[in-house]
Amino acid sequence: MDLTTCLIVDDSRIIRKVARRIVEGLGYEVDEAADGAEALAYCTGAMPDVLLIDWNMPVMDGLSFLRLLRGLPGGDRPKVLFCTIETRPDRIAEALAAGADDYVMKPFDGEILQSKLAEVGAIAA
Amino acid sequence: MTPEDFDKLQTLMSTRAGYRLRRERMQLAEHRLGPIARREGYANVEALLTNLWAHPVASLGWAVIEALLNPETWFRRDRTPFRVFERELLPALASARPSGQVRVWSAGCSTGQEAWSIAMAGLETGARIEVVATDLSHRAVEKARLGRYTGFEIQRGLTAKTMLRWFEPEEDQWRVKPDLARVVSFARANLLDEPVDDARHDVIFCRNVLTDMEPARRARVLDGLEQRLVDDGCLFLGADERLEGETVAFRPVSGRPGLYVKAPSSLRRAA
Repeated sequence: MDLTTCLIVDDSRIIRKVARRIVEGLGYEVDEAADGAEALAYCTGAMPDVLLIDWNMPVMDGLSFLRLLRGLPGGDRPKVLFCTIETRPDRIAEALAAGADDYVMKPFDGEILQSKLAEVGAIAA
Repeated sequence: MTPEDFDKLQTLMSTRAGYRLRRERMQLAEHRLGPIARREGYANVEALLTNLWAHPVASLGWAVIEALLNPETWFRRDRTPFRVFERELLPALASARPSGQVRVWSAGCSTGQEAWSIAMAGLETGARIEVVATDLSHRAVEKARLGRYTGFEIQRGLTAKTMLRWFEPEEDQWRVKPDLARVVSFARANLLDEPVDDARHDVIFCRNVLTDMEPARRARVLDGLEQRLVDDGCLFLGADERLEGETVAFRPVSGRPGLYVKAPSSLRRAA
């Protein structure tokens, strides 16, 4: 599998910047969206290979976006990492059930993202 | 610290732990010993070391040694060995043992992530697994036994699904659940010491331990591993570790990087 593009969906510009630096370091071409609606418009045009999605965002939250994404043509293909500050087990399970391939609790670092992407098969170990 | 202090530290690490303290780690050593000096009431690291050389108290010596060991570890480190263990070794071993019981030793377990990774692999394949995990550092073993990890530690190498299956939140951290905890036992042990019992293991993980050791002490550790491994058992070394003349007791398994079995010569000796 040759995965190359990653969409970072987060309403925090700082988080997007930090995540971008990490993911670019792993060899991805990165784009950003500030909420679920923006991300949905993006994915309708060009489906990224990997998405990092925050939970709480204005306009459309991450979980609503993820459910819509999985219903789009080709929307089952991208690897999705949910990246949020939520650490309650039932909430993590909810995101996984909604179609996230894995879940990242903030704060995270490059080693965590790399190992998560390797576990979901988006990059070589 | 002075260059003489560092020389003495190197000797201490080498004789007691077999550990090779490289010259370029002098600053790191100074940094790591700072908290011990403060805790023990010394003005600075130099004062701590001056006192240690004058009155070599075992407890202070070991506190210094533990602070200088390399504790780095994470869950399912390098991934491949755990896959080989889970998919190839476990089924073969479980069927070869009359009781179905598979005994594994995590030698040099640091803070325990490797031992838990082995245990998870075992329980998820339905094997009857028993993991013994040892480390030279009391502090590392205590943390391992507690089985409690920060958000950074728990996420490094574990998927959220696996994390939820085997760990639960406790005071902003994640703690191992009882069903995983009951198959792993932790103990403090020095790999340079002679075996104190006749326990033998089906698989030994001794990964990224030999790399940090004085080449002259590696043979002794490998001898100990060989004595504690059953004749048809397997040894995992780190992904980048190679045996080069340290021992004739083990030979590499081709196509399985880091995996070793006993060489015919050591089987004859055992018989």
